[in-house]
Amino acid sequence: MDERAKMSARRVQVYYGTNHALKNVDVDILDKTVTAFIGPSGCGKSTFLRCLNRMNDTVASARVEGLIEMDGRNIYDSRVDPVQLRAKVGMVFQKPNPFPKSIYDNVAYGPKIHGLTRNKAELDEVVESSLRKAALWNEVKDRLAAPGTGLSGGQQQRLCIARAVATSPEVLLMDEPCSALDPIATAQVEELIDELRSQFSVVIVTHSMQQAARVSQRTAFFHLGSLVEYGETGTIFTAPNDPRTESYITGRIG
Amino acid sequence: MENTHILSAFDRDLEAVQTHVMRMGGLVEAALLDAADALDNRDEELAQQVRAGDKAIDALEQEIQTECARLIALRSPAAGDLRTVLTVMRIAAALERAGDYAKNLAKRTAVLSQMSPLGASTGSVKRMARAVVMLLKDALDAYIARDAAVAEDIRNRDQDIDQMYNALFRELLTHMMEDPSNITAAMHLHFIAKNIERVGDHATSIAEQVIYLVTGAMPGEERPKAEFMQGMETQN
Repeated sequence: MDERAKMSARRVQVYYGTNHALKNVDVDILDKTVTAFIGPSGCGKSTFLRCLNRMNDTVASARVEGLIEMDGRNIYDSRVDPVQLRAKVGMVFQKPNPFPKSIYDNVAYGPKIHGLTRNKAELDEVVESSLRKAALWNEVKDRLAAPGTGLSGGQQQRLCIARAVATSPEVLLMDEPCSALDPIATAQVEELIDELRSQFSVVIVTHSMQQAARVSQRTAFFHLGSLVEYGETGTIFTAPNDPRTESYITGRIG
Repeated sequence: MENTHILSAFDRDLEAVQTHVMRMGGLVEAALLDAADALDNRDEELAQQVRAGDKAIDALEQEIQTECARLIALRSPAAGDLRTVLTVMRIAAALERAGDYAKNLAKRTAVLSQMSPLGASTGSVKRMARAVVMLLKDALDAYIARDAAVAEDIRNRDQDIDQMYNALFRELLTHMMEDPSNITAAMHLHFIAKNIERVGDHATSIAEQVIYLVTGAMPGEERPKAEFMQGMETQN
């Protein structure tokens, strides 16, 4: 195991009913690093991402085998509370999904239910710092009571990032966070990802190989449920080892 | 790996630019051979043709660089495609330099034709030019075949050119020591020999680029070099 590993997966298998969706995956997610998962649709990258915060627990037919550790502790241990885990391993989804509440309440929700703040002043502080980290504060500070759903798509996505950041996660999972955004909003989110990297690990699933190349330091290529290649992003995009990786990233049949 | 892109226009763009490289290679090889023939046969007309022909080589190089910039901007090539584009750019630059050396050879031929011949040295230059054109041709063939083993062999063969240059250097030095009135002609011939030797270096750099293209890494170890001044000290 890499000494800088924040999370480490060994021999991970996922089945959806009889469908063997993920086969024997070994990955170390490094601390304070952006890791990109790429691969064609159905390759298992999102499935694996969802293993990292036990989102697959919510899928009745899903069965996860193998070992996934965070800081050396098995996250599938029966003593681990998945809700607490998800505060430590936050998630941002493809489509911005703010709660039908005010901007303030969207961000305050996590700290409130996890009891992370003692009073209103502390909560205000967490909301402001989270919105600042998500590079949204200046745009919304005068209308915190306005509904989150009234923001533009790019702002909504940054609101969701602020919401995820508010619980002080150690790892942030992002499942195609920019696929519903225009190029400017995408650039803003990418810039944000690069800033967040100084505080925690980011794992991003993306269909845009250019995005993976732009934002990540490490890239993992999944194909047909297997991890084909995992390495330094610059190497993956200039001289990958596996011919399947080469075929995929150069736009040949994968 | 599949050989064709899902987006077939990408393949057409890549093929077009590589076709230009091969055309450029053909022109440079012909220019070098013609220039060496013109020198040996004192054919000023042919020399003039070589000088004029360099424009076409330069234009092709420009076109290749423009196409490569376009490919990078529009297609965002990655991995092997990216290495192909980078390789094409460097090969084009190396061929452009080689073309300049052929032109320079032709220029000096115009001067040398007015002077009395210096033994059989123009014959030696011609043999050296032929050897270097073979090297260049093989380097370009290795590129087309994506053959790292042939490319590695070319790196080693460049020392034959270096040896021919060293022999010619001694020959010219002898002419100059025998009769100072030979110095002008010998100096011109020496520049010609040196330039042909540099074409060999460009062929080697193309070969190294092929190794990068195929393996993803530039060859590491120093290539063998023929000692330049070996045995020269005693003559000083």
